[in-house]
Amino acid sequence: MSPMPVLEDGSLARRAFLGQAARAAFGITLLDGLAGRRATAAPAAGGTNVIYLMMRGAMSHIDTFDPKPGREEQGETKAIATKLPGVMFGEHLPLLAGLADRLAVIRSLTTETGAHEQGTYLMRTSYAQLNSIRHPAFGSWALHVLGKRSRDLPGYVLVGNGNEHPGCGFLDPAVTPVPLADPERGLENIARPAYLSQANFERRLSLAERIDGDFKRHYAGRQIEAYDQMYADAVRLMGSGDLAAFDISREDAATRERYGRSRLGQGCLLARRLVESGVRCVEVEMGGWDMHRDLWEELPEKVGELDTAMAALIEDLAARGLLGSTLVVLATEFGRSPKVNENAGRDHHPAVFSCVLAGAGVKPGVVHGASDAAGRLPDRDAVSVADFNATIAAACGMPWEKEFVAPNGRPFKIGNDGTPVAAVLA
Amino acid sequence: MTGIRGPSIRRRAAPAYRLAVVALAAIASVAADRAKPNRQAEGRGGLPATVTAAADGPAMKVAAVSAARRDRVRTEAAAIDALLESRWRELGIEPSPPLDDAQFVRRIHLELAGRIPTYDETTAFLADASSAKRDAMIESLLASPEYVSHFYNYWADVLRLTERPQRNLVFEPYLAYVKDSIRTNKPYDEWVREMLTADGRLWENPAVGFQLRDDGMPLPYVDNTVRVLLGTQIGCAQCHDHPFDQWTQHQFYELAAFTAGTKTRLSVGTRPGKPGKDPQPIPPPVVRTLVKEARETKGKKAGGLIQFIQANATAVSFVDASLRLPHDYQYDDAKPLEKVERELLWGKVPASVAHADGREQFAAWMVARTNRQFARTIANRMWKQVMGVGIVEPVDDFRQENPPSDPELLEHLTTLVIGLDFDLREFIRVVVSTTAYQRRAVLHDPTSAEPFRFAGPALRRMTAEQLWDSIVALVARNPWSVQRPTAAEVAEVAAIDLRQASLADVEQTFDAFVGRYGPGRYQRTLQQACGYRGQWLMKASEMPTPLPLGHFLRQFGQSDRETIDGGRTVPTIPQILAMFNGPITHAMLEEGSVIYDTVMAHDPEETVDVVFFSVLGHEPSAEDRRCAHDELTDAGDPATGCGNLIWALLNTREFLFIQ
Repeated sequence: MSPMPVLEDGSLARRAFLGQAARAAFGITLLDGLAGRRATAAPAAGGTNVIYLMMRGAMSHIDTFDPKPGREEQGETKAIATKLPGVMFGEHLPLLAGLADRLAVIRSLTTETGAHEQGTYLMRTSYAQLNSIRHPAFGSWALHVLGKRSRDLPGYVLVGNGNEHPGCGFLDPAVTPVPLADPERGLENIARPAYLSQANFERRLSLAERIDGDFKRHYAGRQIEAYDQMYADAVRLMGSGDLAAFDISREDAATRERYGRSRLGQGCLLARRLVESGVRCVEVEMGGWDMHRDLWEELPEKVGELDTAMAALIEDLAARGLLGSTLVVLATEFGRSPKVNENAGRDHHPAVFSCVLAGAGVKPGVVHGASDAAGRLPDRDAVSVADFNATIAAACGMPWEKEFVAPNGRPFKIGNDGTPVAAVLA
Repeated sequence: MTGIRGPSIRRRAAPAYRLAVVALAAIASVAADRAKPNRQAEGRGGLPATVTAAADGPAMKVAAVSAARRDRVRTEAAAIDALLESRWRELGIEPSPPLDDAQFVRRIHLELAGRIPTYDETTAFLADASSAKRDAMIESLLASPEYVSHFYNYWADVLRLTERPQRNLVFEPYLAYVKDSIRTNKPYDEWVREMLTADGRLWENPAVGFQLRDDGMPLPYVDNTVRVLLGTQIGCAQCHDHPFDQWTQHQFYELAAFTAGTKTRLSVGTRPGKPGKDPQPIPPPVVRTLVKEARETKGKKAGGLIQFIQANATAVSFVDASLRLPHDYQYDDAKPLEKVERELLWGKVPASVAHADGREQFAAWMVARTNRQFARTIANRMWKQVMGVGIVEPVDDFRQENPPSDPELLEHLTTLVIGLDFDLREFIRVVVSTTAYQRRAVLHDPTSAEPFRFAGPALRRMTAEQLWDSIVALVARNPWSVQRPTAAEVAEVAAIDLRQASLADVEQTFDAFVGRYGPGRYQRTLQQACGYRGQWLMKASEMPTPLPLGHFLRQFGQSDRETIDGGRTVPTIPQILAMFNGPITHAMLEEGSVIYDTVMAHDPEETVDVVFFSVLGHEPSAEDRRCAHDELTDAGDPATGCGNLIWALLNTREFLFIQ
């Protein structure tokens, strides 16, 4: 805080003080953001972007990217040919089958964690969930290492539920994802109410900061600073000239249809818009994969939504010349049991499962690793979750072997002890 | 709406100022009108009449709190204080300063009623000269409907309460049952035993909801039950033995063998029922025939009808059955598909249930006083609920490698909860009566290697529900315009006797059910009763659940009700935008809001104090007062200034955090 001028009279002096207080509290860029000026220089224009699709509830590998035609385990899903000779996908992935020459499919992922919360955490962070520390999600690492591309727009957007997300972990709160509930609604409450002038809004902010001084001095620490950061970012965002990036209704109807009118489809479309406008990383969640019972009542629709959305995303990125600079990741928590259970469902199966990569840094048209004949265990080239994350870090040109020291003094790596899978890297 | 202003309200001079405030509200209303989706009975300003009307509180009879026990509570609190103080001395820790009355009255309202106190509640408490006013306040809040609402929110998060956990589970009766168990202050051990052994359908015995929450997943049911009730995670052993876990896969199956005979469908292997308690058996063809007929003759409606038939065929019963190991069991201690003998994790089956069925044995062992881990887990949970940090963290991960930060304190609290016969409300009463609790909050860094020593409660952000209910308290005189349906109300339009019903009967009941509890129905009722610009101005506990991700409560971290203890308090940008620009912040600038009326009822020169007391619960400092006064006179007009001041206080970190 700069020294406070003592006010005895006139409003001019007071106004000057209010401006100064706000600057001290938020940093000089805040008021520039408030003025609604466009960013003039993007801080880190280059480097890879990431669109990360997270299948919550655990996607069945046998019904998607690792079918076992002719086996009892295959259940009701048929296998279809893909553009790659000898490689088959589940029948509900016809579009991605046609794009198989652009994908790198890993069929030998393996983990020991068969619980949703722990499995998602491990996939997103490469580390087991602990009481004593929170690890950063991959997108926060990407933002930390590769930098923000736009001054006013967030660096990392999560289309989905923020509650279970590890967020920035021990990294700076500035690399926390911005959770968006619904891609159709974009960023809500971004505009000031009509009756509130810009000047009044600034007065309110200054007043709040001033009155909050005692409390913030008493409880100075990360907990409160993390909130301060969000206030500053929110104000900057309100002043951004790029907010149209959040509005998918500006896309024509044909484009919106092409991605599919599902939450994932529209989320992927939003992801493309955001990456185009300078957001470094977008994660899109898709729930509902936890099909313990009546799997084939729900699976065709779910896999179909994934197929439509991911295929449209890859084609659209390619058409716009963005696929070379954007890595697309399809991840999940673990696999589902090859054996169909008594309720016509599949249970949790961490021993083997599949994930897919495409775009920046990825060798296209590759199937890496394999599960055994029944889809139970890795048959060759087992890939750990840590290896997988080291691979996507390497694909983005991030230093996967570098140790970063957390505030508690302990070293961490982006992909933990993993090693990149060279076979899927370009 | 008129006639709601009490006699103490003075209509007096300074008309220019008053008009200006009205003008402010009018401006806010213009924006409101544009966004108003549905018509409801209009109150003053843009607020619904049910919300602005004075109310006596909800019709809810809450179990009384014994004032006669006050001395014993003090003694029990003093024993905890003595323990903590000796720890502080030992470790050279300086306790946090005591709360003053203003801080206390705010904290205790948030703690027990889940919201900030109103201006009137705060000032009345400060004016009260009696020496036992804190005890009296605690007792009165613990016996209030808002205590029920607040602790319902807690349990809704722990028990993952949602209205449709699966397509054919109608859970409103179970939700009502949980709320009712809190209202009657049912002893925790009895409550748990009731849920673990309940038989029947949700309509007749809503306690079965606990066993149905993971319907179709008997192993996750055991995992979640043990995690919630015993603070122990054995579920990871469901897939693999893990080198760092205490429990093997075999032990997990041995425990699961106790509840392996749980059936959840009336038509499958149901034993003959005892009248009044157990479900009546239905021959399997009855359900099958109804479903078939519906599928063949009811076209688009068939899907809903079949779910409704299934919901009516959903009933819990138990017949001892054996559990076998999975076909791919891979350890040397047993063979795949081998039958598993029942074995507890620790302790013995109580003699009283030696000849009872497996489920009865499991429940009796669970809640037995000799099973201290059961008491320890809830003592630790309730301690955390009040002090902000558990003695074991996380509360569901008791392990040798994760020892309590203060074993002596934890054992003391365990003994206390047993001594109180598992009266959790009384336990809370003791803890909030300690001087340790009645100290200023202290910073806690969960990643620090240093254990938290409870030199005061940990500084916490309000939960999503506390924040929502606090904002609503600044707006609504009556936040209880709707309460969630009771078990009986739902049963009335949902229960069918499948043995006798024709498809036409089923359809008739189905229509009645959908008319009242079908998709969007409850939402529409709320919109009519208390809708304001797409929000319902009511208690968080009475809202549909889970709420959509974009709702204010979810933005602030309310659980999706799929994860145990899934609520979070981490900051995000959409939260800030909701506070800056969302409809709920602006509701309080409407004429007829609580804070509006409170400001208007006082002299203009008192405005700053009224706003500070209303929002932050304390007097402004000399500097804040001057700064705020300047704002009122300097903003162009005093109304704008007043609006700016209210908005500014809501957007302080101080408002969000509980000191």
